[in-house]
Amino acid sequence: MSIVLPTQPRCHRALDTLLHRCDGVEAAMFALRDGRSYAERFRSTLPVNKFAAMSSSLVALSNSVLREIASDALNYLLIEGDAHKLVLCKVAGSKSPLILSILAKHEINLGLVLGLAKMCAKDVMEAEFAESAQAS
Amino acid sequence: MNEVYKIVFMGAPGSGKTTCIAALSDIPPVSTDVPCTDALQETKDTTTVALDYGELRLDGDNGRLLLYGLPGQSRFSYMFDVVRAGLFGAIVLVDASSEGAIDGLAETLETYREDLASIPLVVAINKSDEPSHALGLRCQQALHAQGLVAPVTAMDARRRDDVVQLFEVLLTLLEFGFGHTSKGRAT
Repeated sequence: MSIVLPTQPRCHRALDTLLHRCDGVEAAMFALRDGRSYAERFRSTLPVNKFAAMSSSLVALSNSVLREIASDALNYLLIEGDAHKLVLCKVAGSKSPLILSILAKHEINLGLVLGLAKMCAKDVMEAEFAESAQAS
Repeated sequence: MNEVYKIVFMGAPGSGKTTCIAALSDIPPVSTDVPCTDALQETKDTTTVALDYGELRLDGDNGRLLLYGLPGQSRFSYMFDVVRAGLFGAIVLVDASSEGAIDGLAETLETYREDLASIPLVVAINKSDEPSHALGLRCQQALHAQGLVAPVTAMDARRRDDVVQLFEVLLTLLEFGFGHTSKGRAT
Protein backbone atom coordinates (compact mmCIF):
# COMPACT_ATOMS: atom_id res chain seq x y z
CA MET A 1 0.00 0.00 0.00
CA SER A 2 1.44 3.38 -0.94
CA ILE A 3 1.75 5.87 1.86
CA VAL A 4 -0.14 9.14 1.57
CA LEU A 5 1.05 11.92 3.81
CA PRO A 6 -0.05 15.52 4.19
CA THR A 7 2.85 17.88 3.58
CA GLN A 8 5.11 18.70 6.51
CA PRO A 9 4.40 22.46 6.27
CA ARG A 10 0.70 21.64 6.54
CA CYS A 11 1.35 19.53 9.63
CA HIS A 12 3.49 22.26 11.16
CA ARG A 13 0.72 24.82 10.57
CA ALA A 14 -1.81 22.53 12.26
CA LEU A 15 0.53 22.07 15.24
CA ASP A 16 1.18 25.84 15.45
CA THR A 17 -2.57 26.44 15.57
CA LEU A 18 -2.92 23.84 18.31
CA LEU A 19 -0.21 25.42 20.48
CA HIS A 20 -1.60 28.89 19.80
CA ARG A 21 -5.05 27.83 21.04
CA CYS A 22 -3.80 26.50 24.36
CA ASP A 23 -0.82 27.78 26.35
CA GLY A 24 -0.93 24.65 28.48
CA VAL A 25 0.09 22.44 25.58
CA GLU A 26 3.83 22.02 25.89
CA ALA A 27 4.54 19.81 22.90
CA ALA A 28 2.73 18.34 19.93
CA MET A 29 4.01 15.96 17.32
CA PHE A 30 2.94 14.01 14.30
CA ALA A 31 4.91 10.77 14.44
CA LEU A 32 4.95 7.99 11.88
CA ARG A 33 3.52 4.72 13.16
CA ASP A 34 6.90 3.06 12.94
CA GLY A 35 8.41 5.52 15.37
CA ARG A 36 9.91 8.48 13.54
CA SER A 37 8.95 12.12 13.89
CA TYR A 38 7.22 13.69 10.89
CA ALA A 39 6.48 17.16 12.30
CA GLU A 40 6.79 18.57 15.78
CA ARG A 41 6.39 21.78 17.75
CA PHE A 42 7.78 22.02 21.28
CA ARG A 43 7.77 24.95 23.72
CA SER A 44 10.87 23.52 25.39
CA THR A 45 13.55 21.02 24.46
CA LEU A 46 12.39 17.41 24.32
CA PRO A 47 14.10 14.29 22.94
CA VAL A 48 12.36 14.24 19.54
CA ASN A 49 13.42 10.78 18.41
CA LYS A 50 12.58 9.12 21.70
CA PHE A 51 9.21 10.89 21.88
CA ALA A 52 8.33 9.65 18.39
CA ALA A 53 9.47 6.07 19.02
CA MET A 54 7.68 5.90 22.39
CA SER A 55 4.49 7.30 20.86
CA SER A 56 4.53 4.54 18.29
CA SER A 57 5.23 1.81 20.88
CA LEU A 58 2.48 3.04 23.20
CA VAL A 59 -0.12 3.20 20.44
CA ALA A 60 0.86 -0.24 19.11
CA LEU A 61 0.78 -1.81 22.58
CA SER A 62 -2.55 -0.17 23.41
CA ASN A 63 -3.98 -1.43 20.13
CA SER A 64 -2.77 -4.94 20.96
CA VAL A 65 -4.22 -4.85 24.47
CA LEU A 66 -7.64 -3.70 23.26
CA ARG A 67 -7.62 -6.19 20.40
CA GLU A 68 -6.63 -9.12 22.63
CA ILE A 69 -8.82 -8.28 25.62
CA ALA A 70 -11.92 -6.74 24.08
CA SER A 71 -11.66 -7.15 20.27
CA ASP A 72 -11.72 -3.39 20.11
CA ALA A 73 -9.67 -0.69 18.40
CA LEU A 74 -7.94 2.30 19.92
CA ASN A 75 -9.42 5.80 19.74
CA TYR A 76 -7.01 7.59 22.00
CA LEU A 77 -4.60 6.89 24.82
CA LEU A 78 -4.29 9.03 27.95
CA ILE A 79 -1.35 8.93 30.33
CA GLU A 80 -1.57 11.17 33.39
CA GLY A 81 1.33 12.07 35.62
CA ASP A 82 1.63 14.46 38.57
CA ALA A 83 2.48 17.41 36.37
CA HIS A 84 1.55 16.41 32.84
CA LYS A 85 -0.90 14.52 30.73
CA LEU A 86 -0.02 12.86 27.46
CA VAL A 87 -2.69 12.20 24.84
CA LEU A 88 -1.95 9.98 21.84
CA CYS A 89 -4.30 9.26 18.99
CA LYS A 90 -4.14 7.88 15.50
CA VAL A 91 -5.06 10.23 12.70
CA ALA A 92 -8.31 8.33 12.24
CA GLY A 93 -9.61 7.23 8.88
CA SER A 94 -6.37 8.23 7.33
CA LYS A 95 -4.37 6.22 4.84
CA SER A 96 -1.33 7.98 6.21
CA PRO A 97 0.43 6.26 9.09
CA LEU A 98 0.39 9.22 11.47
CA ILE A 99 0.02 9.41 15.24
CA LEU A 100 -0.69 12.69 16.99
CA SER A 101 0.98 13.09 20.41
CA ILE A 102 0.16 16.00 22.69
CA LEU A 103 1.92 16.75 25.96
CA ALA A 104 -0.03 19.18 28.15
CA LYS A 105 0.21 20.54 31.67
CA HIS A 106 -1.79 18.51 34.14
CA GLU A 107 -4.23 21.32 34.97
CA ILE A 108 -5.41 21.56 31.37
CA ASN A 109 -8.86 20.03 30.96
CA LEU A 110 -8.79 16.65 29.23
CA GLY A 111 -11.80 17.56 27.11
CA LEU A 112 -9.94 20.60 25.81
CA VAL A 113 -6.87 18.55 24.89
CA LEU A 114 -9.00 15.92 23.14
CA GLY A 115 -10.93 18.60 21.28
CA LEU A 116 -7.72 20.22 20.11
CA ALA A 117 -6.36 16.83 19.08
CA LYS A 118 -9.48 16.11 17.01
CA MET A 119 -9.30 19.49 15.29
CA CYS A 120 -5.62 19.12 14.56
CA ALA A 121 -6.04 15.60 13.16
CA LYS A 122 -9.03 16.68 11.07
CA ASP A 123 -7.04 19.59 9.70
CA VAL A 124 -4.27 17.38 8.32
CA MET A 125 -6.70 14.67 7.21
CA GLU A 126 -8.52 17.15 5.02
CA ALA A 127 -5.20 18.19 3.58
CA GLU A 128 -4.32 14.58 2.95
CA PHE A 129 -7.56 13.87 1.09
CA ALA A 130 -7.10 17.01 -1.00
CA GLU A 131 -3.53 16.01 -1.87
CA SER A 132 -4.52 12.43 -2.60
CA ALA A 133 -7.37 13.63 -4.90
CA GLN A 134 -4.92 15.94 -6.67
CA ALA A 135 -2.49 13.08 -7.19
CA SER A 136 -5.17 10.86 -8.74
CA MET B 1 8.61 -28.15 38.95
CA ASN B 2 6.82 -25.33 37.19
CA GLU B 3 9.55 -22.78 36.53
CA VAL B 4 8.99 -19.85 34.21
CA TYR B 5 11.96 -18.55 32.22
CA LYS B 6 11.88 -15.24 30.45
CA ILE B 7 13.94 -15.04 27.26
CA VAL B 8 14.35 -12.10 24.93
CA PHE B 9 15.00 -12.29 21.19
CA MET B 10 16.94 -9.39 19.77
CA GLY B 11 18.59 -8.55 16.47
CA ALA B 12 18.47 -6.27 13.47
CA PRO B 13 15.18 -5.63 11.63
CA GLY B 14 14.36 -8.67 9.50
CA SER B 15 16.54 -11.10 11.44
CA GLY B 16 13.52 -13.31 12.20
CA LYS B 17 12.40 -12.40 15.74
CA THR B 18 8.68 -12.04 15.02
CA THR B 19 8.65 -15.13 12.77
CA CYS B 20 10.46 -17.10 15.44
CA ILE B 21 8.00 -16.25 18.21
CA ALA B 22 4.98 -16.79 15.96
CA ALA B 23 6.30 -20.22 14.95
CA LEU B 24 7.19 -21.37 18.46
CA SER B 25 4.47 -20.01 20.66
CA ASP B 26 1.89 -22.37 22.16
CA ILE B 27 -0.48 -19.43 22.53
CA PRO B 28 -1.53 -16.93 19.84
CA PRO B 29 1.42 -14.53 19.84
CA VAL B 30 0.99 -10.89 20.74
CA SER B 31 2.35 -8.70 18.01
CA THR B 32 2.87 -4.96 17.66
CA ASP B 33 3.84 -4.83 14.01
CA VAL B 34 3.01 -1.79 11.91
CA PRO B 35 3.62 -1.01 8.22
CA CYS B 36 7.13 0.24 7.48
CA THR B 37 7.44 3.80 6.25
CA ASP B 38 11.19 3.99 5.67
CA ALA B 39 13.73 2.20 3.48
CA LEU B 40 12.98 -1.02 5.33
CA GLN B 41 9.77 -1.40 3.30
CA GLU B 42 11.93 -2.55 0.37
CA THR B 43 12.71 -5.76 2.26
CA LYS B 44 9.68 -6.25 4.54
CA ASP B 45 6.13 -4.96 4.87
CA THR B 46 5.88 -4.53 8.62
CA THR B 47 8.13 -3.95 11.60
CA THR B 48 7.76 -4.42 15.37
CA VAL B 49 7.51 -1.16 17.31
CA ALA B 50 6.97 -2.40 20.88
CA LEU B 51 7.36 -6.13 21.43
CA ASP B 52 6.33 -9.62 20.41
CA TYR B 53 5.22 -12.09 23.05
CA GLY B 54 4.65 -15.82 23.06
CA GLU B 55 4.94 -18.83 25.36
CA LEU B 56 6.54 -22.21 24.86
CA ARG B 57 5.90 -25.15 27.19
CA LEU B 58 8.96 -27.27 27.84
CA ASP B 59 8.57 -31.02 27.54
CA GLY B 60 7.56 -32.95 30.63
CA ASP B 61 7.20 -30.90 33.75
CA ASN B 62 10.09 -28.58 33.01
CA GLY B 63 8.27 -25.28 33.00
CA ARG B 64 7.56 -22.63 30.41
CA LEU B 65 9.58 -20.19 28.35
CA LEU B 66 8.17 -16.70 28.04
CA LEU B 67 9.37 -15.42 24.68
CA TYR B 68 9.80 -11.70 24.14
CA GLY B 69 10.92 -10.09 20.91
CA LEU B 70 12.24 -6.53 20.84
CA PRO B 71 12.22 -4.12 17.90
CA GLY B 72 15.39 -4.19 15.83
CA GLN B 73 15.87 -0.44 15.45
CA SER B 74 18.00 1.22 18.12
CA ARG B 75 15.46 4.04 18.50
CA PHE B 76 13.33 1.53 20.42
CA SER B 77 16.10 0.57 22.83
CA TYR B 78 14.02 1.70 25.84
CA MET B 79 11.86 -1.39 25.32
CA PHE B 80 14.60 -3.38 27.02
CA ASP B 81 13.58 -1.62 30.25
CA VAL B 82 10.13 -3.14 29.83
CA VAL B 83 11.41 -6.73 29.67
CA ARG B 84 14.49 -6.46 31.91
CA ALA B 85 12.95 -7.61 35.23
CA GLY B 86 13.49 -11.32 35.76
CA LEU B 87 15.15 -11.81 32.41
CA PHE B 88 16.82 -15.20 32.13
CA GLY B 89 18.83 -14.69 28.96
CA ALA B 90 19.03 -13.20 25.50
CA ILE B 91 19.25 -14.69 22.02
CA VAL B 92 20.57 -12.30 19.39
CA LEU B 93 19.49 -13.39 15.92
CA VAL B 94 21.64 -12.78 12.85
CA ASP B 95 20.12 -12.98 9.37
CA ALA B 96 22.70 -14.99 7.43
CA SER B 97 20.99 -14.14 4.15
CA SER B 98 21.43 -10.40 4.63
CA GLU B 99 24.41 -8.47 3.29
CA GLY B 100 24.21 -6.25 6.35
CA ALA B 101 24.15 -9.14 8.82
CA ILE B 102 27.29 -8.14 10.70
CA ASP B 103 26.46 -4.43 10.70
CA GLY B 104 23.06 -5.28 12.16
CA LEU B 105 24.63 -7.48 14.82
CA ALA B 106 27.20 -4.82 15.67
CA GLU B 107 24.48 -2.19 16.12
CA THR B 108 22.44 -4.48 18.38
CA LEU B 109 25.47 -5.35 20.51
CA GLU B 110 26.56 -1.73 20.78
CA THR B 111 23.06 -0.52 21.71
CA TYR B 112 22.50 -3.12 24.43
CA ARG B 113 26.11 -3.83 25.47
CA GLU B 114 25.68 -3.09 29.18
CA ASP B 115 22.50 -5.14 29.49
CA LEU B 116 23.88 -8.05 27.49
CA ALA B 117 27.02 -8.16 29.61
CA SER B 118 24.95 -9.01 32.67
CA ILE B 119 22.84 -11.91 31.37
CA PRO B 120 23.50 -15.20 29.58
CA LEU B 121 23.73 -14.49 25.85
CA VAL B 122 23.79 -16.58 22.67
CA VAL B 123 24.27 -15.30 19.13
CA ALA B 124 22.21 -17.43 16.75
CA ILE B 125 22.79 -17.37 13.00
CA ASN B 126 19.39 -17.73 11.38
CA LYS B 127 18.14 -18.25 7.80
CA SER B 128 20.95 -20.53 6.67
CA ASP B 129 21.32 -24.30 6.85
CA GLU B 130 25.07 -24.12 6.91
CA PRO B 131 26.39 -20.65 7.69
CA SER B 132 29.96 -20.10 6.63
CA HIS B 133 32.80 -20.38 9.10
CA ALA B 134 33.74 -16.84 8.12
CA LEU B 135 30.34 -15.49 9.20
CA GLY B 136 30.72 -17.19 12.58
CA LEU B 137 34.15 -15.62 12.99
CA ARG B 138 32.83 -12.18 12.10
CA CYS B 139 30.09 -12.59 14.69
CA GLN B 140 32.74 -13.39 17.28
CA GLN B 141 34.71 -10.32 16.22
CA ALA B 142 31.59 -8.18 16.62
CA LEU B 143 31.14 -9.58 20.12
CA HIS B 144 34.77 -8.97 21.04
CA ALA B 145 34.58 -5.41 19.72
CA GLN B 146 31.98 -4.73 22.43
CA GLY B 147 33.85 -6.65 25.11
CA LEU B 148 31.25 -9.43 25.09
CA VAL B 149 31.77 -13.17 25.15
CA ALA B 150 29.08 -15.56 23.93
CA PRO B 151 28.63 -18.77 21.98
CA VAL B 152 27.81 -18.33 18.29
CA THR B 153 25.66 -21.05 16.80
CA ALA B 154 23.45 -21.76 13.80
CA MET B 155 19.73 -22.24 14.24
CA ASP B 156 16.44 -22.33 12.43
CA ALA B 157 14.42 -19.88 14.51
CA ARG B 158 11.18 -21.58 13.44
CA ARG B 159 12.20 -24.93 14.97
CA ARG B 160 11.18 -25.67 18.53
CA ASP B 161 14.08 -28.06 19.12
CA ASP B 162 16.60 -25.42 18.10
CA VAL B 163 15.20 -22.88 20.55
CA VAL B 164 15.01 -25.43 23.37
CA GLN B 165 18.65 -26.27 22.65
CA LEU B 166 19.59 -22.59 22.89
CA PHE B 167 17.70 -22.37 26.16
CA GLU B 168 19.84 -25.24 27.46
CA VAL B 169 22.95 -23.33 26.38
CA LEU B 170 21.67 -20.32 28.32
CA LEU B 171 21.12 -22.57 31.34
CA THR B 172 24.69 -23.83 31.08
CA LEU B 173 26.00 -20.27 30.80
CA LEU B 174 24.04 -19.30 33.88
CA GLU B 175 25.45 -22.24 35.78
CA PHE B 176 29.06 -21.67 34.81
CA GLY B 177 29.39 -18.07 33.76
CA PHE B 178 26.85 -15.94 35.57
CA GLY B 179 26.13 -15.71 39.27
CA HIS B 180 22.71 -14.08 39.54
CA THR B 181 20.39 -17.05 39.69
CA SER B 182 17.83 -15.31 41.87
CA LYS B 183 17.59 -12.40 39.45
CA GLY B 184 17.59 -14.62 36.43
CA ARG B 185 14.37 -16.50 37.07
CA ALA B 186 10.88 -15.14 36.84
CA THR B 187 8.30 -16.64 39.14
